[in-house]
Amino acid sequence: MQGRSAIGGYSSAMPGGAQGRGRPARKPARTPRPELPKEFIAAHKRRRIMDAIAELTAENGYDATKIGDIVRRAGVARKTLYDNFEGKEEVFLSAFDAAVEESAEQVEAACATIGGDEWEARLQAGLAAFLRYVAEHPAVARMCLIEALSATPAATDRYGAAMQRYVELAGAVTPDSELLPETIDETLVGGVAWIVYQQIRRKEAELAEDLLPELSEFMLAPFQGAADAAGRRRRNA
Amino acid sequence: MQNQRERLLAALSQLLDERGYEATTVSMIGKRASVSKSDFYRQFKSKDACFVAAYDDAVEQIREPALAACGAADSWPQGVVAALRALLEAFASEPARTSLILVEGLRAGRGIYDRYQAALESFVAQLRDGAPPPPDGSHPPEATDEAVVGGVAALLSRRVIAGETARLPELLPEIAEFALTPYLGATEARRIISG
Repeated sequence: MQGRSAIGGYSSAMPGGAQGRGRPARKPARTPRPELPKEFIAAHKRRRIMDAIAELTAENGYDATKIGDIVRRAGVARKTLYDNFEGKEEVFLSAFDAAVEESAEQVEAACATIGGDEWEARLQAGLAAFLRYVAEHPAVARMCLIEALSATPAATDRYGAAMQRYVELAGAVTPDSELLPETIDETLVGGVAWIVYQQIRRKEAELAEDLLPELSEFMLAPFQGAADAAGRRRRNA
Repeated sequence: MQNQRERLLAALSQLLDERGYEATTVSMIGKRASVSKSDFYRQFKSKDACFVAAYDDAVEQIREPALAACGAADSWPQGVVAALRALLEAFASEPARTSLILVEGLRAGRGIYDRYQAALESFVAQLRDGAPPPPDGSHPPEATDEAVVGGVAALLSRRVIAGETARLPELLPEIAEFALTPYLGATEARRIISG
């Protein structure tokens, strides 16, 4: 059941009592840290490397980011990076995938908290979760929504696939209506991505949640319009 | 001279389509355009500069017919539909140019997103100007026009990547409805499009 978080938050994978066990932690920093499982350390290093590339590409762009910068920022040996990844592009793509996975899971989880046929509230909850993710991870958001667009051809393809995933997420929540264009979910998700893109470029990713009212109205309007229209037609019939 | 410049821009645009930005060199552009390397550098500071000029040029070529079509229409909503029609036709008629504007140019990065954003903003301004107040008196939220334009652009890019550039004009009814609905309501938007 816990399996899903394997890629995402390593913090949640922290073995329960690792810190609090034993005496109050007043040891010098150099004391060998006891019994963190090897896999945990490995995953943690992987994660640090991915976090580092997110920060560095956000600061300097993908091209200017070198392997040396990444290992320095992550505080790992060059060998560790190459044990885990083929090279810079794979680090970038892995970080991108992890972020898409993590954000999409949070969106899905938020949607799942609203039951029944309250799809409007569900859509808003999902949108709010997405904006919160952007606000809480500004560097990662910049990597995914800006740098990925031009980093490498493979990255551009991943971006397209991530868009598709979000289009499907939106499609699963919005009601089907023969009154609405088939492409509605694509245009809505594309519109939201564009507004968030601009927010990030203005270096205001942290304030992404401020966009919630406008963007939820933007996403809901076509459906409400269609519902109103259907209602009027029923009344007139 | 002007001629040389145009030849260089056309050559770059072809080469981008064939080989992508990275693999295209200044010598290749010059050779294709029958322009010497030194003449290339008389026109453009660098490959990047030539690229940005080619991008702006391509955008202008699709903006012009769209604005002309819009200006010739009787009303704001008809103008929006006419502009979208002209835009989709311009996109469909020249796949290499379309790919430059919506896909390859953006992949190459290098400041092109600034130009892309500027192009989109000019359409946003166009859409916003003359938009009627909605029937119930409540204005659509500020981000609406930007989100509409961004959403349409995203949809078009996806279709171009899927290899459907030639069929873009078929999307006109859906895109026009998407663009007009926030301002007019769905019923009125549909009436204008079918009318």
